[in-house]
Amino acid sequence: MFLRMITASLLRRRSRMLVALLSIAIGATILSGLVTIYYDVPRQMGAQFRNYGANMILLPGDGATLTTDAAENALAVFARDQLIGAAPYRYVRLDMVLRQQSFMAAGTDFEQIQKTSPYFSVEGRYPENEREVLVGKDIADTIGVKLKSVMELTYRPTSAASLGAARDDTPTPGATLSGGAEGWNGGMVYVSVRLDGEGYIETVEVDASNQTNEIGGLCAQELFTSQFVGKKIPVTLGSDVDTIAGATMTSAAVVEAVNGASNIASVANKTSNFTVVGILDTGGDEESYVFISLEDMAALTGEAGGLDVMELSVSAAQDELEQYASAIQDLNSGVIPRLVKRVTRSETAVLSKLQALVFLVTAVVLLLTMICVSTTMMAVISERRKEIGLRKALGASDNGIRTEFLGEALLLGVLGGVLGAILGFAFAQLVSVNVFGSSITFQPLLLPVTILVSMAVTGVSCLLPIQRAVEIDPALVLKGE
Amino acid sequence: MSLLTLKNVSKIYGELKALDDVSIHVDRGEWIAIMGPSGSGKSTMMNIIGCMDKPTMGEVLMDGVDISKESSKKLTEIRRDKIGLIFQQFHMVNYLTAVENVMVSQYYHSMPEEAEALEALSRVGLRDRARHLPSQLSGGEQQRVCVARALINHPELILADEPTGNLDEANENIVLDLFSQLHEEGTTLIVVTHDTEVAKAAQRVIVLDHGRVAMETNNAHAGSAKASSFL
Ligand SMILES: Nc1ncnc2c1ncn2[C@@H]1O[C@H](COP(=O)(O)OP(=O)(O)OP(=O)(O)O)[C@@H](O)[C@H]1O
Ligand SMILES: [Mg+2]
Repeated sequence: MFLRMITASLLRRRSRMLVALLSIAIGATILSGLVTIYYDVPRQMGAQFRNYGANMILLPGDGATLTTDAAENALAVFARDQLIGAAPYRYVRLDMVLRQQSFMAAGTDFEQIQKTSPYFSVEGRYPENEREVLVGKDIADTIGVKLKSVMELTYRPTSAASLGAARDDTPTPGATLSGGAEGWNGGMVYVSVRLDGEGYIETVEVDASNQTNEIGGLCAQELFTSQFVGKKIPVTLGSDVDTIAGATMTSAAVVEAVNGASNIASVANKTSNFTVVGILDTGGDEESYVFISLEDMAALTGEAGGLDVMELSVSAAQDELEQYASAIQDLNSGVIPRLVKRVTRSETAVLSKLQALVFLVTAVVLLLTMICVSTTMMAVISERRKEIGLRKALGASDNGIRTEFLGEALLLGVLGGVLGAILGFAFAQLVSVNVFGSSITFQPLLLPVTILVSMAVTGVSCLLPIQRAVEIDPALVLKGE
Repeated sequence: MSLLTLKNVSKIYGELKALDDVSIHVDRGEWIAIMGPSGSGKSTMMNIIGCMDKPTMGEVLMDGVDISKESSKKLTEIRRDKIGLIFQQFHMVNYLTAVENVMVSQYYHSMPEEAEALEALSRVGLRDRARHLPSQLSGGEQQRVCVARALINHPELILADEPTGNLDEANENIVLDLFSQLHEEGTTLIVVTHDTEVAKAAQRVIVLDHGRVAMETNNAHAGSAKASSFL
């Protein structure tokens, strides 16, 4: 009978109840929608943030390089769907001999770069085939290359240290060594050193073609190189060898190159022609690099070589990133994980602000819904004063009245909750697609939760109206018209 | 055997004495009519007897229990268990059918039983209108549903405040006929009326004026007289 009464009340007083139901459903819709967004924001924004570049990097420990195995082991730590991209970088200095230009080249994986650095803007396209190069805008401007230009890139083995090989402690007597070091304005200076039978320097030849001709070029001339003859490596600048006035950098570079010169005879200069397929415009340091594939770099340098750094883009909040970082650390594979704090911090800050905002809006909507439901129920109750008086006259106890109206309210809450959960998902979906440009998955748990919350909200908002109902005096309301 | 005794009952609204030192006595099974001009305190008295209001002063004994000082919770229980109410304006729950309206009364009293409710509707001649909503019933039919609702729980006392006030003569007679049946079954009836014909059906008539009992008369023939004799 109880159910029959409240369902009759809902069904036969349709229009009135529809208003109440509507207000509950709208409230529940917005609430469940906002809650969905609230929980989806980190994911959505996380994906958004991943557009702003890597948030974690892997570095080799102890100045060595990162082996492919070690990198792969570290990557295995991540949940598959969270690792958006992992771009390897191997840096090598390359020259364009004819133009007397030298610059840093990054060997990388272009597919991964597009994932870790989606904001890179490339005029033309990313390299796809062998011997294609992506040139940073700065370099392109300086040396005047355009799309489809051909660049003759030369790799010259530099000092042993920068080749990653352990340097012999004492250069073998009688050998011819070659080396290089960075001189003025990033230009490379190359040397070729011949030792006599006792290990004393016999001759030094300097290629300072990347330096300014008038001043730096002096270092290639005999007045400077002859100073080395009869000395032993290492040579000291200032005592063994005097600096050329006005060419301090170049002088120092020659000394460094001589001291670092190695006798890896197999390392000869290598040259290949590359086609410029893209000009990279990032507004950052990347513009002064050229990018080639790791394979091309291996071919050019004659060795596979380890990585200098690996950039990761991980869809995770800061604390989760930190967990990943310590997991990688725990592998003890010599890989050092670092969070890109600038990125992760601002992500975390923006996220918490956004969530706080959604939370606030949710609270306000909750309050408004409660006021709305409460007002509607108040109207419903005052409209039904006679009926309530009659019920009391017929023997309904105060609790009986409470139960009936609470029952009605909760039934409305359930219906409103179901409607709200469905519409709320649609609402969240709409917002998500329009604002974040991606869809969300339906959380089955949200349905019961929305229904419960909607019931609770309706129940609470009805407390005051129901108290009004209980206070109705049957003698008064049943008295004549 | 005494069912109800009012001892020096007064109900005062501010300056106004709606009931002024009223003492009456009703035996079990009696049929009482209460008359009096408008504003004389009839409804006030019915509300007090019907446990919907409390007197300002005086005692109201029902079955020997003083109900004038009971809590409203207790009053609700007494009303539910012992009293059937009939109103001038019928008062039905407008979204429930005739039979459901009768069942509401059962629901608050004990257990709703549709068969029993239908039987009560048969008794007032409305078996075939059981599934109609109040808006689909005439005034007379609605009042008969209310009579069925009042008698469904077999109350000891039926209180009717101008039950025929809004009815035509034919319907008035049907209702009176039902009352006299109830009377014969031993139910105590207190009926407020302006209609002398209705009053004549009762055994005793109490006339109120300005909140006081102005007159009490016994109808010699009443009690044995059947309402049908008025048809
Ligand atoms: N709640 C109240 N507050 C103030 N005065 C009231 C209240 N209820 C009734 N009265 C007054 O008490 C007096 C008696 O009212 P009551 O309703 O008992 O009259 P009645 O005899 O039933 O009249 P009628 O025949 O018109 O129904 C009236 O003067 C009325 O105005
Ligand atoms: Mg009255």
